[in-house]
Amino acid sequence: MSRIGVFICHCGENISRTVDVERVASQASLMAGVAFSTDYKYMCSDPGQTLVKKAIAEHNLTHVVVAACSPRMHERTFRKAAEQAGLNPYLCEMANIREHCSWVHENREEATQKAIEIVGMLIERVKKNRILPTITVPVTKRALVIGGGIAGIQAALDVADCGHQVVLVEREPSIGGHMAQLSETFPTLDCSQCIMTPKMVDLANHPNITLHTYSEIEQVDGYIGNFQVTIRKKARSVDEHKCTGCGICITKCPQKKIPNIFDCNIGMRTAIYVPFPQAVPNVPVIDRENCTMFKSGKCGVCQKVCGPGAIDFTQEDILITEPVGAIIVATGFELYTITEKAKGSPIKGYGEFGHGKIPDVIDGMTFERLASASGPTGGKILRPSDGKEPKQVVFIQCVGSRSREKGISYCSKVCCMYTAKHTMLYHHKVHDGQAYVFFMDARVPGKSYDEFWRRSIEEEEAVYIRGMVSRLYQKGDKIVVMGSDIAVGVQVEIEADLVVLATAVQPQKGADLLAQKLGISYDKYNFYSEAHAKLRPVECATAGIYLAGACQGPKDIPDTVSQASAAAAKVMALFSKDRLEREPIVARVKEATCVGCFACKKVCAYGAVEEKEIRDRQGNLLKVIAYVNPGVCAGCGTCQATCPSKSVELDGYTDEQIVAMIEAL
Amino acid sequence: MSNLKYSYYPGCSLHASATEYDISTREVCTALGIELQEIPDWICCGATPAHNVDELLSLSLSAKNLELAEQVPGDMAVSCASCFSRLKFTQHILGKSETKLKLVEKAIDGPVHLERRVKHLLEILARDYGLDKLAADVRKPLSDITVACYYGCLLTRPTDVPNLDCTEAPTIMESIVETVGGTTVPWTHRLECCGANFTLSRPPVVQQLSNAVLESAKNAGADCIVVACPLCHGNLDIRQKEIESIYGSSYGLPIFYITQLVGLALGIPPERLGLDSLCVSPQNLLKEKKLIQGA
Repeated sequence: MSRIGVFICHCGENISRTVDVERVASQASLMAGVAFSTDYKYMCSDPGQTLVKKAIAEHNLTHVVVAACSPRMHERTFRKAAEQAGLNPYLCEMANIREHCSWVHENREEATQKAIEIVGMLIERVKKNRILPTITVPVTKRALVIGGGIAGIQAALDVADCGHQVVLVEREPSIGGHMAQLSETFPTLDCSQCIMTPKMVDLANHPNITLHTYSEIEQVDGYIGNFQVTIRKKARSVDEHKCTGCGICITKCPQKKIPNIFDCNIGMRTAIYVPFPQAVPNVPVIDRENCTMFKSGKCGVCQKVCGPGAIDFTQEDILITEPVGAIIVATGFELYTITEKAKGSPIKGYGEFGHGKIPDVIDGMTFERLASASGPTGGKILRPSDGKEPKQVVFIQCVGSRSREKGISYCSKVCCMYTAKHTMLYHHKVHDGQAYVFFMDARVPGKSYDEFWRRSIEEEEAVYIRGMVSRLYQKGDKIVVMGSDIAVGVQVEIEADLVVLATAVQPQKGADLLAQKLGISYDKYNFYSEAHAKLRPVECATAGIYLAGACQGPKDIPDTVSQASAAAAKVMALFSKDRLEREPIVARVKEATCVGCFACKKVCAYGAVEEKEIRDRQGNLLKVIAYVNPGVCAGCGTCQATCPSKSVELDGYTDEQIVAMIEAL
Repeated sequence: MSNLKYSYYPGCSLHASATEYDISTREVCTALGIELQEIPDWICCGATPAHNVDELLSLSLSAKNLELAEQVPGDMAVSCASCFSRLKFTQHILGKSETKLKLVEKAIDGPVHLERRVKHLLEILARDYGLDKLAADVRKPLSDITVACYYGCLLTRPTDVPNLDCTEAPTIMESIVETVGGTTVPWTHRLECCGANFTLSRPPVVQQLSNAVLESAKNAGADCIVVACPLCHGNLDIRQKEIESIYGSSYGLPIFYITQLVGLALGIPPERLGLDSLCVSPQNLLKEKKLIQGA
């Protein structure tokens, strides 16, 4: 006979505001098999958990039902408490009377009635719970980091410094990401290169880090502690081991007029190139689309001049497989472009700003390259169209961001600060120039941030105009900026020499495709979703995968570095054990009735179903049936629902339990 | 030729100051085999004054017209940018607000019909009839004529309501003009306001804004401006001489309705397109470009 304990939580007022918790407790006490029932204000707190533990001991409880929030929130908390009181944790279940009841209803009487029924269902279900042994799986103590920007670099260094092997995969020919493109960084104006490049070198020289640049993730198999990752190493056409990085191939390459993406297409590069002089690794790559050798079969100058013979035109993409136990995703961001967008895209461009056709209307990253000492102008602020020094520069904030009508409603978070920085850099370099900023709000919370923004106005003479810009058009060699000053209530027209747009921060192109390979979730903008916005901000809902940097949402460098170290700490915690405990909520096949149709195998999204041969004592094959690998099974239950002969059961969610719940209604 | 049939809503301007727009609209549609049946007893849409003063009145006037349109089959064809905007706005607002819908039903003492598709003449020409077919109907291509297509503020704005074309970078008018052989110019003020109905209450505002439009078109090298709105036409055409004298400039830019230019290209005799109603005479330009006969 079951002796069930029922614990009703008030959740402060979250539940008790709408549900009469005392009545639920008293009604539950009358239900068959219930030995004890009570309510408490915060069941998840220390006194609440102690209450549960004490009741288990005092009333000799065999099962526990906690009626509170979603099991996603606190199932683990209460199962641990039950375990500490000597109960098998899987004999504790949660009745969700918050998300499924009090939060979604207004009528107290009806909500109370519903809460009583939900508790009743869980009581019937828990009676049929089995004692489940914890499953353990081995942990491969190697981490994969996807993305070699500041987030990936920081995370990789932290994990590697802890003594674990790290594999870092970067899509571009060099690590460094967007931070390597920046000139100086807020709020201290230290040069980005000076704080970034040493970290890049540390990473390349680290004995525990294997670096794959110019590589992409092809496929991800496995599960927490045991991933198999297939990496496509794209053909570089240069042998990484032979190349000494002397750069003579670059000097001699006759194709010199290819827009350099690293310099936002302002500067030019050769067909064989390193994206920037401080690149890591310092090994060039041949851009096959623009290389004369690949286009016409004639040239090969680089091959002729290369001393160590590192140029290899016949190189092909290769696939390598790396076993890892954890994955940190740090794929970063790209900037919104104002050009006309493809049909069907929810994001619209800016026709009123000329759809990107006015040459001296540039984005913030392009301004960074103009201001950077290593940029195409050597750090001089010169406008792209005619190379003249602009004397009137208009900065426009919130371009794309915070505008639902353009398809993006979120704030990009970094633009207020970098625009303030741009006005300072401009003022430092063009003393007789004037910077204007059109802004909606100055969102500058952060350590020393507000002071920095104030400085741009008070000491660096930037003129801030609160209002938005309706139109930009070219008039002679000027750009007419038509805007409004809502503080004064007048229309403003400025004839600018250069216009800099603080365009929205978006996830990298293809972020959704990578998420699908990894099996992690993402929002409608393709930013990756964390498991819990507040309490699990660096973990994905998919176990063993962690997030760092702007791929999860717009972030500045300090936040990115913090999150990267946090993700690294999570990985280290995972690697601190040799075996990993897993919830035993997995599917089991009844061998006697399984006919081996493998419908379950077809529907399993995790590849957990294997084929198992049943043989008699003489070794004759009797039949081939399904077998669920408990290490791989995610407990989703799809196989259970699919099996035509009802031969698969998910522990904790058996047909018998579901039917018992329905009958309790 | 086509089987297109529309319930036609001309609006007050097309029966008064912009009769040439009405005449040329009907001529072009007849020439293309597009049947326009005028909605019986249609009333004023209230234009700008009504919706500035009384939203219920404004919505009710357009709702009444939508109800009257039920008597005539086919999508609703509208030439005037303002009537078009008011009808689309009414459908948009009443489609979203049950409360306002109830008030309007009470006001017009009848059901509100929001399903009818309201189409501007530009969409009818470019999409329903189609540019390919239109190209085949051209008898006198508008070669050598350089046109500044002027949308003004109403045709494409705001973002979600008229849904005629891209709000800030539309191309529909250019596509029609190019289809009938004209050359279009990129220019800066094609979506700026002409001053609209301030023409009566605050003429200096209109003079200033319309001057900027004329100046921009002239600088872009246009021979003329083409419009699809009676109010824009009034401000740019009727006030052009006065603006020239105030700003000491000389534009001499004929302002055509889109239907007048398309009509010329289709070979409709000029005298049937109301060209003589234009204040800035197009005679010299059209003669020069050999689009009309002349000494």
